[in-house]
Amino acid sequence: MTVKEMIQGADLEVKAAANCLDTEVTGGYSGDLISAVIANAEEGNVWITWHVHPNIVAAALVVKLAAIILISGRQPEEETVKKADEEGIPILVSKQPAFAIIGKLNNMGIMGEK
Amino acid sequence: MTLREIAELLDAEVLVGEDKLDMEIERVCVTDLMSEALVFSQPGALLLTGLTNPQTVRTAEVAELRAVCFVRGRRPPDETIELAREKGIPLLCTPVLMYDSCGLLYNRDLQGCSPER
Amino acid sequence: MVKRTRLMRSQELIYEMRVAEVMTKDVVTVTPKTSMSKFGDILRSKRISGTPVVSGGFLVGIISIEDFINWLEKGSKKARVKQCMTEKVITVFDDEPLAQVISKLEHYRYGRLPVIDRDSKKLVGLVTNGDIIEGLLHKVERVHNEEEIRRHQASNIFDDIIVDQTTLIYEYRVIGKDFKQAGAGTSRLRKTLSRLEIHPQVLRRAAIVAYEAEMNIVIYTDGGDLFAKVEPGMITIVARDKGPGIENIELALTPGYSTAEDWVRQLGFGAGMGLCNIKKVSDEMFLDSSVDDGTRLEARIAI
Repeated sequence: MTVKEMIQGADLEVKAAANCLDTEVTGGYSGDLISAVIANAEEGNVWITWHVHPNIVAAALVVKLAAIILISGRQPEEETVKKADEEGIPILVSKQPAFAIIGKLNNMGIMGEK
Repeated sequence: MTLREIAELLDAEVLVGEDKLDMEIERVCVTDLMSEALVFSQPGALLLTGLTNPQTVRTAEVAELRAVCFVRGRRPPDETIELAREKGIPLLCTPVLMYDSCGLLYNRDLQGCSPER
Repeated sequence: MVKRTRLMRSQELIYEMRVAEVMTKDVVTVTPKTSMSKFGDILRSKRISGTPVVSGGFLVGIISIEDFINWLEKGSKKARVKQCMTEKVITVFDDEPLAQVISKLEHYRYGRLPVIDRDSKKLVGLVTNGDIIEGLLHKVERVHNEEEIRRHQASNIFDDIIVDQTTLIYEYRVIGKDFKQAGAGTSRLRKTLSRLEIHPQVLRRAAIVAYEAEMNIVIYTDGGDLFAKVEPGMITIVARDKGPGIENIELALTPGYSTAEDWVRQLGFGAGMGLCNIKKVSDEMFLDSSVDDGTRLEARIAI
């Protein structure tokens, strides 16, 4: 499944890098510790997080994440959007809390641990 | 859904609160940020977190969360367990990742914690 | 089904509790005809400093050890209580709220007041500062919390009430950098507030404020104090420390801004949400800080 298909299926809104939505999503990762994402997430994962600051883009680049989803109506900081656009990391937002978003993605076949 | 059913579903070990497994859980708060759990949770929720320090129990107490489940097989230190016993807050420990824990629980008549206002 | 939760604040207790609930019923009295020498014997044997004077169940005066001393100095040997007592007595009715009694005791600077039954007008008891303290303590079950008792001797609680008429103040010490103990002050405060039957939503907000404030002290300073003031219509939480102070308050209040070190972030704090959370759940927040003097945070929650 591509990022674009995931966006449609889970009713997400694109906030950055709208031209980079064809990446294949390999799975999902959830957690709010940036060091843990870097240590545990896999390439092509979509990361569900609360954080909105530019460091999330840096972490996404390190792991080569397919996209970042911000939860509970959180909006990315300006600097985050700028950096994400530059680096081609899609930032997606949802009003739903993490639990509901992950549940939906999971039902769509985006799994966590392989 | 009862805490017992959640524990079985997540293959979780019960570290504290064997006697409280019949309590009903209706909501799940998923986060590694205690400040998020404090303000964006609803009383009575189960806290699903990767953090195991005693402050998870304090947070549960302050935000009136019903129980805490540690994900990714992370076992809490003794002081966390002691504090949970003292406060009567059940602690579970599941080997399942946070993401997959949500996946397993999502279709079981549980809700997330939406922002309060 | 809407269940209405009764809002009962600590200070409401002194409005809600009546004299009859705390007064001493077993009162030593004398009659106008009692001889002064007999009165002296009573003072000595009962170890009291005065008694109401009663005739046929009705209060007709009050007599104290001072009257006794005056009598010893210049009174006639055969004098009776009637000649030495004070006839104009300040009294309270048994159905008056404690607040009324507290203000009367304070205003007249008396140690005790006779209690009169409103219907029969007869003397039914005596109320002292001590009775009120004991009654309040019993009501809020504070006796079980030894730590708070140590911090706040009973007399202290009474002083607080006298000073502000209706305010209760709690104080907790917070140790800096002690992550294991962090939150203990909040925990105790929460317990105390819940005993005062504060509305659950208010209680939760107050606990969140106290916890974030306490965590800030633990994370960023070498320690400080947490205060909670409960008064009519308001809970005020104050967190005070001696430094290092916040360099840029405006920046510190920006959501997500944080100067926390990595160890703090690894523990789930320091995400730049603490002060925002406090602001969010309180009705008013004041933050004063200087690099030299430390930080004082005050948050108010209406009840």
